[in-house]
Amino acid sequence: MSGSASTLPGVRRIAGIVLAVLLIGGVVAAVVAGRDTGDTSTATKTVRGVIGSEKAEFFADPEVVKALAAEGYTVRTETSGSWAMDGLDLKGYDFAFPSSKAPADELAEKYRVREPLPRPFYSPLVVVAHRGAAEVLSRNGLATLEKDRGVLDMDAYLTAAEAGRTWQQLKGADRYGELAGLLYIATTDPTTSSSGALYLAAASNVANDGRVVTGEADIRRTAPLLHDLISVQGAQQPSSDAAFRDFVSGAGNPLVLVYESQVAALLAGGQKVDDLVVLYPDTTVNSDHTVVPVTDEGRALGELLSTDPELRRLAARYGFRPQGSAKEFTAATAALTTYLTPRLTVRQAPVPTSEVLHEMARRARGR
Amino acid sequence: MRRTRASLGTAAALALALAAAGCTSAADTPADPAEYVPGTLRVLASSELADMKPVLERVEKDTGITVRPTYMGTLDAVDLLAEGRAKDVYDAVWLSSDDHLRLRPDAARQVVSETPVMSSPVAIGVKDATARRLGWKPDGVTWSDVEKAVADGDLTYGMTDPARSHSGFATLVSVASGLSGAQSALTDADVARAAPRLKEFFRGQKLTSGSSGWLATAYDRRGDVDALLTYESVLKARKDLTVIRPRDGVVTADYPLSSLASTSEDVRDDVRRLTDALRSPDIQRLITEETLRRPVVPSVRPAAGLDTTRRRELPFPGSRSVADGLLDAYENELRRPSRTVYVLDTSGSMEGGRLDRLKAALTELTGDFRDREEVTLMPFGSGVKSVRTHVVRPSDPKAGLDGIRADTRRLSASGDTAVYTSLRTAYEHLGAADRDTFTSIVLMTDGENTEGASPADFDAFYRGLPAAERRVPVFPILFGDSDRDELEHIADLTGGRLFDARRGSLDGAFEEIRGYQ
Repeated sequence: MSGSASTLPGVRRIAGIVLAVLLIGGVVAAVVAGRDTGDTSTATKTVRGVIGSEKAEFFADPEVVKALAAEGYTVRTETSGSWAMDGLDLKGYDFAFPSSKAPADELAEKYRVREPLPRPFYSPLVVVAHRGAAEVLSRNGLATLEKDRGVLDMDAYLTAAEAGRTWQQLKGADRYGELAGLLYIATTDPTTSSSGALYLAAASNVANDGRVVTGEADIRRTAPLLHDLISVQGAQQPSSDAAFRDFVSGAGNPLVLVYESQVAALLAGGQKVDDLVVLYPDTTVNSDHTVVPVTDEGRALGELLSTDPELRRLAARYGFRPQGSAKEFTAATAALTTYLTPRLTVRQAPVPTSEVLHEMARRARGR
Repeated sequence: MRRTRASLGTAAALALALAAAGCTSAADTPADPAEYVPGTLRVLASSELADMKPVLERVEKDTGITVRPTYMGTLDAVDLLAEGRAKDVYDAVWLSSDDHLRLRPDAARQVVSETPVMSSPVAIGVKDATARRLGWKPDGVTWSDVEKAVADGDLTYGMTDPARSHSGFATLVSVASGLSGAQSALTDADVARAAPRLKEFFRGQKLTSGSSGWLATAYDRRGDVDALLTYESVLKARKDLTVIRPRDGVVTADYPLSSLASTSEDVRDDVRRLTDALRSPDIQRLITEETLRRPVVPSVRPAAGLDTTRRRELPFPGSRSVADGLLDAYENELRRPSRTVYVLDTSGSMEGGRLDRLKAALTELTGDFRDREEVTLMPFGSGVKSVRTHVVRPSDPKAGLDGIRADTRRLSASGDTAVYTSLRTAYEHLGAADRDTFTSIVLMTDGENTEGASPADFDAFYRGLPAAERRVPVFPILFGDSDRDELEHIADLTGGRLFDARRGSLDGAFEEIRGYQ
């Protein structure tokens, strides 16, 4: 072993570490490197925010930094799981930027932020698969394919999941050694991560005959199915980034739920994933990247991200769909239309309230 | 259900012992800074990441970020996190997998932004000759085939202790999933149903180890074990094995690099820069070439020789009760039991504080013995003072443990130090009978040999033993004024390993040796 020596000083046991406190403690001495290399004629305002980790690369991009500086902003960000943000103390921050509406609404209520909240961009949930798995789904009536993309029949999928269908029972699966065991979509943990929770939003909507789950009766009716969908997965990844990484490296479940933006950003960056097929669930849910401004500067930044043509163009390069017009996303993914569909034709299910979603997640995890 | 994991508190002692063992001398390894120093990250890392040294050197050259790793078994690291002891001591955590961490909410809360850096599945490395004899092709073997080969007496193997290392636990999960026919994440019912087959399977396990490094050494020394069950990367690096990823599925380690939630933004910026560097195509290429793990970026191909056909990924248990139940079954029912002689120095020099520490450590250890385990206490001074054997019977485990505790209380210090005569008695006690156990000797002494047989006498005695008895390793513990060279020689001669209780603690050393018993 070549490890270095380490001593354990008398570590104080600190019970119940509050993320918020730590986050704020961490921002104190923030210095932006290279700030003076930009446009020095405009004094820039420094705006601080907590963002979902999926947007970290966007905010770190030099072109984004430049575009923001041109409008007089320097943005300092800290990342946090969107779902963990609702417990966050936003003192000292100008905005929070979770990846979905439910935690944003909760924060807005807590800080009495006036609606509407700026929603600069969104991204639908998709399922990534390798060609073999996608073709087996298609052959068995669970999906329709067109080149490198397809549409997943959620009703058929949920029926199969409810019946405990295995890959072995599907026609054509025997050609692929990895297609064995229960048929399920791997997701992140719905109690801590937004994409996992949004999966429950989509599935519960289908199971609830196309109606959004609102009360205890709906929750109870859909709970057994949702519990099945989650419990069969065993340990779940904490973030969709980790799940997507595993998929790319050839490990993990044959079907993985991710954001379209993750796939789009990877492909737009010139990376190729072997025999990738992108399946759009016919009932899906959008992650609405929503700015919760707690100061005027925060709100101004949210508006800027929504309206500035350059920032919209850059967001599309990171795979996000800017609100309003499909122009930027279409341009950014022009070479990727075999994988991605610029104009979404699948049904967008509305997301239950944060409270309902939490309760569904809690029961699905069996906690 | 009886748990056999380390109790709270021992993990930290163990951490100290391991950290101490990790440095060759105090002079060439300056103590780690007690606080974060910009550009230097104190990383709590799984032991097998020691092979990342050349990669980290390159990253340091490229980015200026220095990684100061402290290596530890993955499960011990999770214990440390759960107890809140990583805070302020480490800046980042890098384990072979965070699956275990997620089963422990106390530990999971300590980390943020987990980012997989590379991957390696659990696999079976079989001697080429054995693979040929069994007619095995790398892409055509299932866990059931492995089980059948074991049952037919055609295959023996070594694996690490699932209670300490992630590779051992991931192997256990893979085997249990494969043999129970579970179609999704394992449940208690799956484990119960598969128990008879699992028991058969683990009859083939001839080597156990607390670390993958010693496992390989013991495997080479024995020479008569057919296979190793561990990560593909470790097996591929050996070149003398046919590496098989069973067709019915594997568990994959994905090495996530994570920040600690307690760190400042500056620290996390450094961790992010380190992560980005590790995931850059150049470094990913270096990782797969150097360590034979698989890259996680699509533009980089896995190193030559890594088969790219896909395997089913077996789900890791999603609840602690299933994981603990599986471990519990493994330790107390499924694996071959252990049989250990504790050769304990109770010479006059142990009088006072040292004897008290020995008694406390042994008493603590009784919380850790498994069902069916045979424990012999052999205190010595000028000669062996008594030989007392206790068995932890599943029908009444308390009786055996009470017996050990009672004998421990009765220990008293007197006489000289007859190390070699006593060791000889231990070998004679164990005898030639192969009782289908993991058999070993633990030697604790606080001084040099002053009485009875000489080192040369013992060497000659050992060499004269039948082959089966020579397979019994001695694990000496350095304590008090004992002679490192003398004890190291005993470990080398018998194929054991030296543990240092001078830098750590006696209970830490006893606890760490559990992984090898």
